[in-house]
Amino acid sequence: MNQFRIFTSLLLFVLYVLLFMFTDAFAEEYKFEASEVEKKPYHMGGYLEFYPTMFGLDKNAALYKLNFYNRNAGGTTEQYNGTLQLEGSLEKGISRFYIKTYTNYLNSYQTETTKTTVFEGNVSIKPSSSFIFEGGKKTLNWGKGYAWNPAAFLDRPKNPDDPELSREGYIIASMDYTKSFSGALKTFTFTPVLMPVYSGFNDSFGEVDHLNVASKFYFLLHDTDIDLMFLTGGSTTTRYGMDFSRNITTDLEIHGEFSLINGYTQTYVDNNGNQSQRSYSAKNYLIGMRYLTKQDTTYIMEYYRNGTGLSGKEMGDYFSFVDNSYNTFVSTGNAAKFNKAVALYQGPYGKMNPATNYLYFRVSQKDPFDMLYWTPAITLIANTDDKSFSVTPEIMYTGVTNLELRLRTGIIVGPKGSEYGEKQNDYRIDFRARYYF
Amino acid sequence: MFKAIITILMGMFLTAPVFALDGTAMLKEVDKNLSPESYESYRKIINIEPDGRKKEFTYYTVKKGRDKVGGLFLAPASEKGRSTLRLGDNMWLYIPNVGKPVRITSLQSVVGGVFNNADILALDYADEYNVEKIEELGSEYILYLKAKTKSVAYDRLKMWVDKNKKIPLKIECLTEANMLIKTLYFKDIKDFGGGIVRPAVLETDSPLYKGYKSVMIFAKIKKKDFKDEVFTLTYMPKMDSLR
Repeated sequence: MNQFRIFTSLLLFVLYVLLFMFTDAFAEEYKFEASEVEKKPYHMGGYLEFYPTMFGLDKNAALYKLNFYNRNAGGTTEQYNGTLQLEGSLEKGISRFYIKTYTNYLNSYQTETTKTTVFEGNVSIKPSSSFIFEGGKKTLNWGKGYAWNPAAFLDRPKNPDDPELSREGYIIASMDYTKSFSGALKTFTFTPVLMPVYSGFNDSFGEVDHLNVASKFYFLLHDTDIDLMFLTGGSTTTRYGMDFSRNITTDLEIHGEFSLINGYTQTYVDNNGNQSQRSYSAKNYLIGMRYLTKQDTTYIMEYYRNGTGLSGKEMGDYFSFVDNSYNTFVSTGNAAKFNKAVALYQGPYGKMNPATNYLYFRVSQKDPFDMLYWTPAITLIANTDDKSFSVTPEIMYTGVTNLELRLRTGIIVGPKGSEYGEKQNDYRIDFRARYYF
Repeated sequence: MFKAIITILMGMFLTAPVFALDGTAMLKEVDKNLSPESYESYRKIINIEPDGRKKEFTYYTVKKGRDKVGGLFLAPASEKGRSTLRLGDNMWLYIPNVGKPVRITSLQSVVGGVFNNADILALDYADEYNVEKIEELGSEYILYLKAKTKSVAYDRLKMWVDKNKKIPLKIECLTEANMLIKTLYFKDIKDFGGGIVRPAVLETDSPLYKGYKSVMIFAKIKKKDFKDEVFTLTYMPKMDSLR
């Protein structure tokens, strides 16, 4: 309770300081000077972020046992994140250099670290408006899904809890060839990509010592965005994908994504920890919509069928195995099985979305009750196999230029043996203050 | 009796439909006076709250032909690098952090405030509307416009046009049931050079946002040719290279 009071006081203090700091902006007169639109060959920008989180722990949950087996935690634990994202570019003639770095300070019950990662760093050459050549570290962001992208073969997985966060890219070489037409087919773009995977070079992507080839074919056909894509080369198994997106009316958009992964190998355990594998062609698909009402309420809904996911029974068996191995460890001191459970969590069971069927539903209301720049929202992410879910109410304020404030509470609900029911937290409160410069 | 007939006739003369005028030709002339066939321009969009607080955006715009419009936010820092694209009824928004273009709808607003995406990425009026009726009222014409398709943001427009300059002075945006959604006011007619003479300020208010006002200030409107491929999703992250 004392920790909660300190956490709340800290939040209120930061909020007060930030609002006080930027009150001057309210008094500013508007003008439109030529210097405001003058183009410079270089650009520097980014944001600074403060992001404290408090977790309410669930001491009976399997993942609590995995993460807290060696320490006596109270009812809550805090985590403090400070982030500096820097972006810079330099343009000369037809070429442009771009870099994005991400420096994160993390202070949690596990660690206190500061780490800088180059998210992107690439050179692009644009000899004409039809051709763009790029080389270096880059995020490609394939797919049309909002919370999940089963056809994003060359990207790191998205966090559906915060899908708009920037992610680290991979080192690639790519080209875009674009042609416009009049008629039903308005645009065609061909994007071939080369992705080397060698020791020290994209080696987290998959098997090393392969040069992988991927391609995307984009069509704007009958007012519908359509992408066809594939990836082959040996670091992962060959995969094919497609996506689409279309505005049905002035306030309704629908989208979908599909991918087929050949020879996918799934590792799973029974409740005694006996490990098995099965190989199959995994089919993943996503269907979604975004709807805006006349009252400025936005609904986003997506259903995701993760063909590379584990079934409800397989998830339940794993959580039973964690419980059993933990009890053995506590009663006998024998950690062999428990270590195996921990190792499996680094693999298939600890993935961002380990299960098979998910539902995403978000409702946000812009400027409710004439409160301009306030946006309350509520997000539900549910595992429809085991009926467990997280529900996250939030409120965001963007009324001060370049400052974004967000307060969220995540509540996690699910029965014993379910994905969300076995997460280490019962609830979470987080606050994010982000200042752009 | 004679006076009454004269009064009725004068009244009819002042407000009756101008059958001799071609409404469609008039609307095309209004479009031509508002923007060249292919051009670039800079805009400042200001949202003003009832208590006088303001939020400003600086926006670079390119347009080609009847149905291609692109835009890039230059300021504030939180919006810098966001680009928008419209190809006919299709609209997309590119956010650098998200890293890919996502479809948006015409009724959404990328800047908040009273202007929506259809106002910011506006196409020629003659492309989206048919002229149902034209009236002459003193030094102005009033054009009654009806959307050609359901995908247009406003079903009806009532446009007041300066008779001499063939430039709109005011537009009421209405629903199918003639409910007022917003009013656009065209102000401060300015010579931008290159034969472009048009209002430099566009203000809007709405009964749906009582007390709020949004303003668009135009600068550096210049005729410029672009390749069609500039108006594609691939080009959205590179839009700054057009400046």
